[in-house]
Amino acid sequence: MSRLLRLIRLEIWRQIIGWSGAWWFLVTLVIGQAVAPLLGLFVWLHVPSAGAQVGSYYLAVICVALVTASFENHTFAQAIYSGDVAAALLRPQPPVIGPLGENLAIRLWMLVLGLPLITLVGLTVGVHFAPLALLAALPALALAAVLRFLFVWTLAMAAFWTERVHAVVAFGGALIFLLGGSAAPNALLPDPLRTIAQLLPFRSMLGFPAELATGALTPADAAAGYAISVLWTAALGCCAVGAWRLGVRRYTTVGA
Amino acid sequence: MAVTVAELSMTYRVPVRDTGLVAAARALVRRQYRDVHAVHDISFQIAAGQVVGFLGRNGAGKTTTMKILAGILHPTSGRVRVLGEVPWRRHNHYLRKIALIRGSQPIGDAPELTVLDSFRYQQVLYDIAEPQFRRNLAELSALLDLDSILQRQVRALSLGERMRAGLALALVYRPEILFLDEPTIGLDISAAKVIRTFIAEYSAQTGATVLLTSHSMADVESLCPRLILVDDGAIAFDGRRDELSALFAPAKLIRVTVTDDSPDLAQYGDVLQRDGNQWLLRVLRDEVPAATARILSRYAVADLSVEEPSLEHVMNQAYQHLRSS
Repeated sequence: MSRLLRLIRLEIWRQIIGWSGAWWFLVTLVIGQAVAPLLGLFVWLHVPSAGAQVGSYYLAVICVALVTASFENHTFAQAIYSGDVAAALLRPQPPVIGPLGENLAIRLWMLVLGLPLITLVGLTVGVHFAPLALLAALPALALAAVLRFLFVWTLAMAAFWTERVHAVVAFGGALIFLLGGSAAPNALLPDPLRTIAQLLPFRSMLGFPAELATGALTPADAAAGYAISVLWTAALGCCAVGAWRLGVRRYTTVGA
Repeated sequence: MAVTVAELSMTYRVPVRDTGLVAAARALVRRQYRDVHAVHDISFQIAAGQVVGFLGRNGAGKTTTMKILAGILHPTSGRVRVLGEVPWRRHNHYLRKIALIRGSQPIGDAPELTVLDSFRYQQVLYDIAEPQFRRNLAELSALLDLDSILQRQVRALSLGERMRAGLALALVYRPEILFLDEPTIGLDISAAKVIRTFIAEYSAQTGATVLLTSHSMADVESLCPRLILVDDGAIAFDGRRDELSALFAPAKLIRVTVTDDSPDLAQYGDVLQRDGNQWLLRVLRDEVPAATARILSRYAVADLSVEEPSLEHVMNQAYQHLRSS
């Protein structure tokens, strides 16, 4: 276990250094992740029925988006297309360490580079978070980070079969935008869309931690949200393992 | 045996279709495939410590075979054991004993990292104890002249420096088998020579087994006493270099300098080159002893040597022969 942690830590450190030369590109990624929640913020701020906490909610969504952003369609899928994944297969370590380390390094960079934007939005909108609500949201944030990585990584593994992986991942991104709480907070969606969104994994990736952080959920709703997040994490974990096995089998039999 | 390959085959199923829009539309609903036999029923063994050249034309099946042996590809059929392991299972204890080095991409690390960063990563990845790591690094630095590039970022290295660093990174954990895929591609003469010398020394010192693919005959000539020639996915030759020469180049070269005024040496073989009194003759192997004896007895010979044709010539002959057959 200690070796595994050392390898993950080392991989994150390597990738932080590796991405340090592309800070300008990371800024564009930050903007890309923040645009949709900002649009939602501007729209819902002018809707009286949205409630007083809508500013805090969208600021929390921006933070969640930055620390859960996943770009395996650019990083991992590219390694499949370029053949670099072959070298990764020959490293004596679990294959997830490479993509996971790169994912966490990019998120760290995005959080650091996104801090000015978060501060600016916070000061402009005027937000309020209760410390206890923030604490309650932290496990949900961790689950969201895991979920989104598993979701995008699994979709990115489509690169083993197709060269159109960006279209696949873009479709997943559209679902996160529509049903995850970026286009509209889950509570403001019409039924039955709200119920469907609560049952699907996308809200757990984005809106659920933000709802917890703003204290908008009853304990029963929070517990239900956590249960759904845990279930989807297990399900997507199984999907990722299955996709990896099938993908590698194809890669190693069809050719590198 | 370090490597045992028995009846190994690798068949790729590739989609095919006729040209044109109609054929493209038809392929959407009914795809057609064709089998491409990249490797077909090959068998060979390599003893521990041997350095073997794995040669062939482009598309002959060399790289596919090497990828199977390294563990990247899963063959369609056949039995392979490398150091007693099935390579495509990619167990960690197997991966710690092998290294695949590709001249086209010697370092896979992020270009922002320094060479020393990459070494430290290898240390953790391959569980190398600190004293052993320092000893190996010092040894490799001395042999490959790495001191000046250890602190530099990978992106700032020249191709030759990258290859030296890539080779050292792959050897810092002391693999028992090296799979070298075109290790000197794109390098200048002196950089290529450094790499060749180092590989020979590493193999001699550690007893490592080396399987080399290269289109550089200088690499093959200086490193590989044994050659395996593959063609169309099958083994066309497996043996010593001189045996390959005898098989595909039935003539030797006689280089002779005479002091006579107008000798007629054309009667002893094909004249490849004449420069004053210096002659270069191509003579069938069986006729070389008789021809040299007659030249020495009939003319005033200042110098005479019998040479094997260059490996490049032999390989060219071999490829031409294989193509025509």
